[in-house]
Amino acid sequence: MTPILTPARQRTLLALAGALVVMNLASFGFGEAPLETLGRIWAGTWGTPYGIGQVLFKAIPLLFTGVAFGVALRAGLFNIGSEGQLAMASLAAGFFASKLGAGLPWVVALPLVVAVAALVGGAFAAIAGAMRAKLGVHEIITSIMLNRSADVFLPWALAVGLSVDGVRTAPVAEGARVPPLERWFPSFTGSAASLAFPTAVIVAFAVHAWTRRSRIGRELEWVGQAATVCEAQGIDVARRRMQAMVLSGAIGGLTMMGTVLGYKGYYELGLGAGAGFSGIAVAMLGRGGPVQLTLAALLFGTLAQAGIAINARVPRDAMGVIEAVVILLMGAAAFASSQDEVKSPVPANRKETAG
Amino acid sequence: MVDAIAPRIELVGVSRRFGERLAVERMDLVLEPGRIHALIGENGAGKSTALKMVAGLVAPSEGSVRIGGEPLASVTPRAAMDRGVGMVHQHFMLVEPFTALENLILGVEPVHESAWSKLPLLGPLLFGGRLDLDAARTKARALASDAGLAVNLDARVSDLAVGEKQRLEILRVLYRGAKAILLDEPTAVLSPLEVTELYATLRRLAERGHTIAVVTHRLDEVVRFADDVTTMRRGVKVHAEKLDADARERATETIQRLTRAMMGGDVPETSRRPPIPADAAAVLELQSVHVAGVGSRCLTDVNLTLRSGEVVGVAGIEGNGQRELETVLAGLVRAESGAIRLDGAALFTDGGDKAAMVRDARARGLVVVLDDRHHDEMILDATVSDNLVVGDLGAGGLATSSAVATDEAAVSSRRFERFAVEPRDPGRRGRELSGGNQQKVVMARALDRNIRALVLGQPTRGVDVGTAHVIHEAVGDLAATGAAVLVLSADLNELRALSHRIVVLSEGRIVAELPPSATDEAIGRAMLGVTEDGEAAA
Repeated sequence: MTPILTPARQRTLLALAGALVVMNLASFGFGEAPLETLGRIWAGTWGTPYGIGQVLFKAIPLLFTGVAFGVALRAGLFNIGSEGQLAMASLAAGFFASKLGAGLPWVVALPLVVAVAALVGGAFAAIAGAMRAKLGVHEIITSIMLNRSADVFLPWALAVGLSVDGVRTAPVAEGARVPPLERWFPSFTGSAASLAFPTAVIVAFAVHAWTRRSRIGRELEWVGQAATVCEAQGIDVARRRMQAMVLSGAIGGLTMMGTVLGYKGYYELGLGAGAGFSGIAVAMLGRGGPVQLTLAALLFGTLAQAGIAINARVPRDAMGVIEAVVILLMGAAAFASSQDEVKSPVPANRKETAG
Repeated sequence: MVDAIAPRIELVGVSRRFGERLAVERMDLVLEPGRIHALIGENGAGKSTALKMVAGLVAPSEGSVRIGGEPLASVTPRAAMDRGVGMVHQHFMLVEPFTALENLILGVEPVHESAWSKLPLLGPLLFGGRLDLDAARTKARALASDAGLAVNLDARVSDLAVGEKQRLEILRVLYRGAKAILLDEPTAVLSPLEVTELYATLRRLAERGHTIAVVTHRLDEVVRFADDVTTMRRGVKVHAEKLDADARERATETIQRLTRAMMGGDVPETSRRPPIPADAAAVLELQSVHVAGVGSRCLTDVNLTLRSGEVVGVAGIEGNGQRELETVLAGLVRAESGAIRLDGAALFTDGGDKAAMVRDARARGLVVVLDDRHHDEMILDATVSDNLVVGDLGAGGLATSSAVATDEAAVSSRRFERFAVEPRDPGRRGRELSGGNQQKVVMARALDRNIRALVLGQPTRGVDVGTAHVIHEAVGDLAATGAAVLVLSADLNELRALSHRIVVLSEGRIVAELPPSATDEAIGRAMLGVTEDGEAAA
């Protein structure tokens, strides 16, 4: 019944096309033949198996942080602290993994390390969560301040003993490594894409199902929609907010699966930095569900990889401009579609009925 | 003020479709200048939608809206406003932290003019735009005194009482030059005295040539104040008449006629209150309860005992402790002193957190429906089926762990059917429902809980006659099973129909206790705190 190209999707594609045009103009400004830049981007991303692998690799942290931000947002919380949460989790779990015995089988080592990452990420987010829930201090302020705290803490912790040379931890135990995709798909050889990508997709779907189906998940969303109603109906608003924040931090912490466990094999200062903020854009674009979220992460992953592909000719910062244009145009497309529903006599196809 | 020459407003064969549902079907309607036109009908009959099409808020699916003979240029509130049509919504559209005057001029701010600001291009940018609040105040004062609308222009909107907010809304559309004023259920939130005042204002405006249209559920006020009445049922206009002196004279007959048209049949009489046995035990007791508050919004030394099977009504001017009474019983605020007991056992004694207090009271059978539907009862962005179970997940019968049990669907659909919520689709968002249907959802959820004592804040505000009747019946049935019911309502007829006795709150105190047969005047005097021999509470 529903056509695949709904007006909303047409707009999204149009927005993407618009971004391509802008990029063309921009590269023209740098003295490049426009289509040539496009060609180079294609070759560096979706045009070759290696490029695809790199896009998937870039998308891993973005998807994790996108899911993380989205969970908190459901409860009406703005967790800007993914950046600090993922950094703390990366260091802690990286260090922990380096201390594991070399002979430990992966079925034991990997879950342990991932659990430590989630625990530390969640615990670091819990500080901001508790301050919001108990004291009413806004999480935007606290989570930004906690990001800065992590910025100061990490070099100190590495300097006083968690590192081998002051900037990086010792290599993680072999059993804790997340295997690269090239093991199954040889054409990905050389790219850093690992099993962390399918894991991130599974997490996105699992979290979505959990928020739709579980009691806590549904109450989280209600708290985000109308906290006063929840309070009057006996839902523990403070506790649900706390839970959302902790879960958000824990998922943010999983980011280290892609960077520490799937790529470098150790933690070093700055590894994964920036994903915490890009994740916000991913979450905003991918608000519809796990499929949209994954597509959004792939889009930003593509842009990040494209920046590297054209770096030799066009400054990589140009991709930052394109990223901004994408966010702007996609936002405009989403807004236009939401207006559609308000104005048109026949609203766009209604969502499925519950019950 | 120049006397307004209001446009004649016509709906010609207008339909409006929402999804598969026809909210309004091929409707013809004429609103004449100088007259008060009442639009009545059950919840979801399409009254509000019809007016919203006139106000440019909703586009007709077919047919045309003509204002002064011409169709609207575009479907926007601004286009309608340019043609002199303004709407006052059921839920106020005011910026709470702004003053009344600031709300008044929002979007049409008057600015100081100077020669510099007339320079092309940069003139207005650099030299224009300084607010001329004095000009605004002068204009607002003139309009207000002319229409008889008392509004404190310099007070913050958050400090205004409901009636004053509404006067401000009316003043705002007048300020924008509206000659036709559409009001969506303006009296749902008003006390009887304020209703009379509102219609006096509307009459004055009509006499000056304004076109007035009012959506309402209260047939008594239609008969008393309206000139024309149009009745809608399920999107279709089913009845229209002009109300002359004769129709007003025979008010009861007229109301019956209108009710039949609205319902497509007769409304059964509300059942009599069953008598309370002499030995009925006390169920809900309040003993010298104090709740701190601002001004008259507090409770002072409130003593009240509800016995098994008893329905007690609470009357009072809004903001005299009703909200505090509801919230203290809901467990949302803590009494400073005093005791609240349910079936003899004290409630809210331990120092648990708010959510625990709310849940504890409910688990023991004290169910409260707060009066502010959108603030406390209905999640507008959640589906109706979700709203029907909010707060009940994890309670007996529903999910007991993190996984939601399958019988939630059964509970949800049982509640959905109880008051036949319209539209017949539990997947709709709360905000897609009319106010009355939202109330049906809220009431169905509350009444389905295990109840020893029920506290209802404005249970039928904005609800049509038929549904109000069903809700009243349910309250009666509940009392017959031995539960105690406390009803807080601005509608004295409702209190009379339901209660065994009526207590009156004034400035946070119970100042009078009256039989349901008490006259409006007697109750009204008590509301104003005028005590009288023999009627004042000890």
